[in-house]
Amino acid sequence: MKKQLMTILTVVLALAMIFTLAACEKKPDPNGSEPAPNKTDPAPNKTDPAPPSGDTTIHVYTRDSSSGTREGFEAVIGFKGELTEKANEVSSNGTMAQQVGQDVNGIGYVSLVTNFAENNLKPLNYEGVEATEANVINGTYTLKRPFCFTTRAADDYKSEEQKQIVAAFLAYMADSKEGREVVVAAGGITDVEGGKPWNEIKKDHPIVDRDNSALTIVCGGSTSVEKCVKAALESFQGIAGNVQFKLDQTGSGDGWTRVLGDEKDGPNASDIGFASRKFKEDKEPVGTAMRSEAFCQDAIVAVVHKDNPISNVTKDDLYKIFTGATATWDDVGK
Amino acid sequence: METAKDFFTSSDVKFAAIRKRRRRTDVLFKSLFRIAGIVAAMMVILIIIFVTSRGVRPFLGSAEERVDLKVFLTGSRWRADQGIYGLGFVIINTLIVSVTGGLLALPLAILSAVLITRIAKGKLSVLLTTIVETLAAIPSVVYGVFAAGKITVLVRDLGNIFGISTYGGNSSFAVILLLAIMTYPTMTTLAVSGIRAVPKELDFASLALGATPTQTSFKVIVPAARSSIATGFTLGLGRAFGEATAVSMIAGNALTGPSWNPFDITRTLTSTMLTGLHETTGLDYEIRFSVGVVLMIVIVSMNLLVHAAKRRLEKKGSAIS
Repeated sequence: MKKQLMTILTVVLALAMIFTLAACEKKPDPNGSEPAPNKTDPAPNKTDPAPPSGDTTIHVYTRDSSSGTREGFEAVIGFKGELTEKANEVSSNGTMAQQVGQDVNGIGYVSLVTNFAENNLKPLNYEGVEATEANVINGTYTLKRPFCFTTRAADDYKSEEQKQIVAAFLAYMADSKEGREVVVAAGGITDVEGGKPWNEIKKDHPIVDRDNSALTIVCGGSTSVEKCVKAALESFQGIAGNVQFKLDQTGSGDGWTRVLGDEKDGPNASDIGFASRKFKEDKEPVGTAMRSEAFCQDAIVAVVHKDNPISNVTKDDLYKIFTGATATWDDVGK
Repeated sequence: METAKDFFTSSDVKFAAIRKRRRRTDVLFKSLFRIAGIVAAMMVILIIIFVTSRGVRPFLGSAEERVDLKVFLTGSRWRADQGIYGLGFVIINTLIVSVTGGLLALPLAILSAVLITRIAKGKLSVLLTTIVETLAAIPSVVYGVFAAGKITVLVRDLGNIFGISTYGGNSSFAVILLLAIMTYPTMTTLAVSGIRAVPKELDFASLALGATPTQTSFKVIVPAARSSIATGFTLGLGRAFGEATAVSMIAGNALTGPSWNPFDITRTLTSTMLTGLHETTGLDYEIRFSVGVVLMIVIVSMNLLVHAAKRRLEKKGSAIS
């Protein structure tokens, strides 16, 4: 009898503990009755308790050092290697979104396709321009980087067929509506409606109508472009006589080198070289390439918690925040 | 007509044949088991050789790429972006969060084991066992999602009460809580089987001497099961040290340390190995094997330590009795 009573008591106690824990979260804002925080404080909301009053220390969130988004962000803002020691490193875009959304004093950066509202995030305008696909395409939103390709010189292919199939693929990926759709689905930003229908473009590339399973398109260069290019190649394979492909992405630096530079005839020689930035005019001349251009854009958005009053940042603001020069939200923009 | 002698000879022959057949099967199965044992041992050796041989590479490379072993083992900054790989603070952080998490789970596990084996009766005991087993079976990524959504929020709110600003709850403290939850089922399961294995006579003797059931549980049964409890603690610690997915979701992966403040972000050996693993190449990839070697050394030395402690405890126990 006694034992049973003890058992019941233990279970009741355990349940009570669980409920207290659960109730903790729903408790109304404990600072609600206190005098209103000064204006620069992030406004507290009902579900999230306010930060310790007056504490506006910026919490910097960054992606791990192998992330393409981080590489792009650091390249545009220009602080490679100068990141503040106090940064919190997260390993994926989703984790970044979730964690900044839980931290009233947090700031991070995510890709444009992120669902901001669901994660309690506020996307910041960059230099006064809202982060939208339209603004990326029309060039006003500048926290972005281009995904570029370049190719071997027109007379430098293994065979005439090889040259034609590479040209056909680039026309598909960069010019056709269908190809652009695939790139957009893989996270790139480009103007789908501005593309031409593939059926029209196809007329200039009769090679796609024969069996191409003996041909292999070799790509090299930037790792960030891999997702978009792979998606485009996979869909191209089905409409171009089962052409084979090989992606050997090692970094933007190798994009030019392997099609036009020192390694163009070496074991890593490629047909198409990619870079997640513009090719450097002085060191990477692409004048001799068969074709060379940006085929899509990758936009990065600086985000803060939705209760943070800030709504716009400049390049200088972001530089100072991420290098630790600006330590509190009160000092942003000063 | 068969004489008695004939009968014995023929049956001898028959038995000899059977015996021979049996011996052959025996040999066959013995060698099968031996092969299984060798394969299992080979796996361990292969893994150690593979990880170690890759793990030493960062220290042997060309002068530009080489990582200084002393900096690696004692450094207090992990800046892959600057090419600085100092693991010292990470080792300390890992020890802090894993051991604290394990120590937090241990009393809970012992108390639950006593509840399951000695207090709860019938269906309740089965139900509690099922709950503990379910907890043990939940994949770590599920724990990670739970931790990133709930534990961090709890820690953040707790920090706010004390006026400490946290990185949205990502902190050593959150990792400790998570590891306590994750190691608890292992420890409980081992403690339960340990307590069940204690001979009934000890129980009866204690009760007959006039001890209350509670006194019997805690002064006789639990000490008698300490070996299993210690094994459970070791296994639990192993899980705590090796947990990567869930931990890296809430650790915050600090770039410097060690983090003495429980509300500060931290970095563990496993989270260091895991973050960015899929996208990285070159030195930043190779160095993860070196971290793996360190992790294996840490786990083995921790196990030896617990075993040494266990042996001392046992000596003490036998001296008393």
